[in-house]
Amino acid sequence: MEQSGNLDNSKMSCRNLTKSFPSKKQNFLILDGISFDVRENEFLVLFGPGQCGKTTLLYMLAGIEPPTSGEIRHGGKQVLEPDSSRAVVYQTMALFSWLTVKGNVEFGPKARGVSKERRERDTQHFIDLVGLTGFENSYPIQLSGGMKQRVGIARAYCNNPDVLLMDEPFGHLDAQTRYMMQESLEKIWQNEKRTVVFVTNNIEEAIFLADRIILLSNCPSRICAEYDIALPRPRSVMDPEFLRLRKEITAAMDRVVDKEGGQP
Amino acid sequence: MQVSKRFCLKIVSALSILLFLLIWYLTTDVLKTVPPTSLPSPIKVCQTFVEKLHNTAPDGATLGVHILASLQVSLTGFTLGCVIGIPLGIFMAWFHRFDLLTKPVFDFLRTIPPIAFIPIMIILLGIGVLAKASIVFLSAFIPCVINTYTGIKATKPVHIWVAQTFGASRMRTLWKVAVPTALPFIFTGMKVSLNAAWTSLLAAEMLGSSKGLGFMIQMGRLLIRADVVVVGMITIGFIGFILSAILDYLETTFVKGGA
Amino acid sequence: MKKRIDPKRMESIVLGIISFLSLLILWQTAIWITGTTRFPSPTTVIVRFFRALVEPIGPYTVIGHVAWSFSRVFVGYSLAALLGITLGLTMGWFPYVRAAFKPLFDLLRPIAPLAWIPLAILWMGIEEKSKYFLIFVASFVPFTLNAYAGSIKADRQLIGAAKMLGAKNNQLFFKIVVPSSVPQIFSGAQVALSNAWMTMLAAEMIRSSYGIGWVIIAGQQVNDMAQMIASMIAIGIVGFLLATGMRLLERRFLVWNNQGI
Repeated sequence: MEQSGNLDNSKMSCRNLTKSFPSKKQNFLILDGISFDVRENEFLVLFGPGQCGKTTLLYMLAGIEPPTSGEIRHGGKQVLEPDSSRAVVYQTMALFSWLTVKGNVEFGPKARGVSKERRERDTQHFIDLVGLTGFENSYPIQLSGGMKQRVGIARAYCNNPDVLLMDEPFGHLDAQTRYMMQESLEKIWQNEKRTVVFVTNNIEEAIFLADRIILLSNCPSRICAEYDIALPRPRSVMDPEFLRLRKEITAAMDRVVDKEGGQP
Repeated sequence: MQVSKRFCLKIVSALSILLFLLIWYLTTDVLKTVPPTSLPSPIKVCQTFVEKLHNTAPDGATLGVHILASLQVSLTGFTLGCVIGIPLGIFMAWFHRFDLLTKPVFDFLRTIPPIAFIPIMIILLGIGVLAKASIVFLSAFIPCVINTYTGIKATKPVHIWVAQTFGASRMRTLWKVAVPTALPFIFTGMKVSLNAAWTSLLAAEMLGSSKGLGFMIQMGRLLIRADVVVVGMITIGFIGFILSAILDYLETTFVKGGA
Repeated sequence: MKKRIDPKRMESIVLGIISFLSLLILWQTAIWITGTTRFPSPTTVIVRFFRALVEPIGPYTVIGHVAWSFSRVFVGYSLAALLGITLGLTMGWFPYVRAAFKPLFDLLRPIAPLAWIPLAILWMGIEEKSKYFLIFVASFVPFTLNAYAGSIKADRQLIGAAKMLGAKNNQLFFKIVVPSSVPQIFSGAQVALSNAWMTMLAAEMIRSSYGIGWVIIAGQQVNDMAQMIASMIAIGIVGFLLATGMRLLERRFLVWNNQGI
């Protein structure tokens, strides 16, 4: 089904994933036959309507949720549990509220026993990179929503992961902040290229950030389409090509949702 | 796998309780490392329990009479504490001037544990029901006021504005918005109150009384009848447990929509 | 520069003073009208309070008695904090510890701490040991309960986040579960302190030869109401100081949990 099975630059691969949650009468199927690859250093966006199981799919990639059937591999090894080689940025931020910004960012290296000198250097580097210089000793409760998510991103980066998994990281932010965060994230990613899998239900965000977009349908989720976004970076939302893509993908999604809506 | 682990956990729980009883039994009846005057064996406790149901020795009343006496006083005091404390808490929180006038005195009063009032009450009112009931009242009253007050103050200004824009009067806003907001807090307050009432009643009965469970365990100590003391303690624990279970039940029935 | 006082604050201060004054005046007039000698007037009590600060009642002045009571509370309370927090946290995180101790704990928990007084005296006599034990029992329960509640409701997502950052199982306990339970433990510590303070009073009133609870009972035995009320005021002041101290500690150590400080 997929033609992207080029093993040389494939970082992660999923084959025939399904996920169902058992309920009283029948199993509730939310993901059905998902197969795709994540390429080295690409920015992959999983895009689809709300409640379509994108977050569950991402948690499965992270190893937090086990798939009902199918297989996920990361660097040749099967994914069975959370691992420090895959960092997650959560929609709810999930910061450690009792630690300062610095404490949060250096949590991973500290837990893994990275030397103090190296840890200090990395921590400062990523705090600077996300633009939180000067806030090292603030507690999360003293920060705004956007700043909190910057901490989440720095924390994920500082753990030096192989793959970054982002679960609607800007979902809880207001529109203005969200837009700024998208620009920041792109800059950060350009500076420190990593393999990113990014979940969103916002079309502009998807096109603005993605190298490739995978469009998922509504419950149960299947892969409907795939788009390579070859626009030069940094992108402009007013670029005609951007607008064309936006129209095309929105139309594709509407078809998916309509079809779903038409079903009993 | 999952089932067998749950099963293991159940076994561990059962073993721990059995082990507790076994150690109790071994140290008292079998090895006799602890004299029966300080800890009676579990078997002796059961015997005494059955005996106390009909025998008035050594403290002048059967277990049932003690229980009834304690329940009567504590429930009277508790009810009074709620009936007076909850409205007072509502008033204090809702009427600003009244709040400023009463809060300081109240804040000072509540730093003194109600138990400290027992000797004074005994001098003023004797060792009868009245002294005990007023102690119980005092200790039930304070948590009721505090929690009701906090609950009413927890009403979101937005909700009050909504009520006002729909033309609700101030009394109606209190009744339809603030009181429902405060309801979970009030129930918490009642639970704390009941606990406090039960505790301070025990103290009052131990310090001056001629009936009740507190009196019974105090007599048990004076007559060095550890078995009577332990029977009393178990009864006290059991009744305390039942009372809070009843309040928990009432809370789940009355407080809708969660806290 | 002169400090300007907010009129709202002014109103609350004035009304507070009025409320205290009117209470005292009410009390004083009631004494005058009834002409009773059984109940002391506020002036007598206030004079008595300050005299008790310097003149010994029994072996010590009121300050000495309070110090004794405080030392009893301190020993029992610290022991309860140490054991209760440990038990509560481990019960919340390790299923086998929970299985082994939770049923026993639930079985013994409903017994009011004061109900242990007679048994404690039978076991350990009327010396310090039985009082330490009683205060221990009284504060152990809230410490354990709150530490347990804190650790069992530790945020699953934070635990997941720590796992994906590479934390091992024991790191999860010490770096996530323990710190995230601290606010809950603090509220347990406040309940425990007021329980301990109350139980200390009861224990001292029932059997002791010094301590602030004893001062009240000594007053009762010679029908000296002024002494009783003066010692109650002392109890109130100490209780207030303890509660304030707790609040300050909380503010200092839980900066990350309090908004707007």
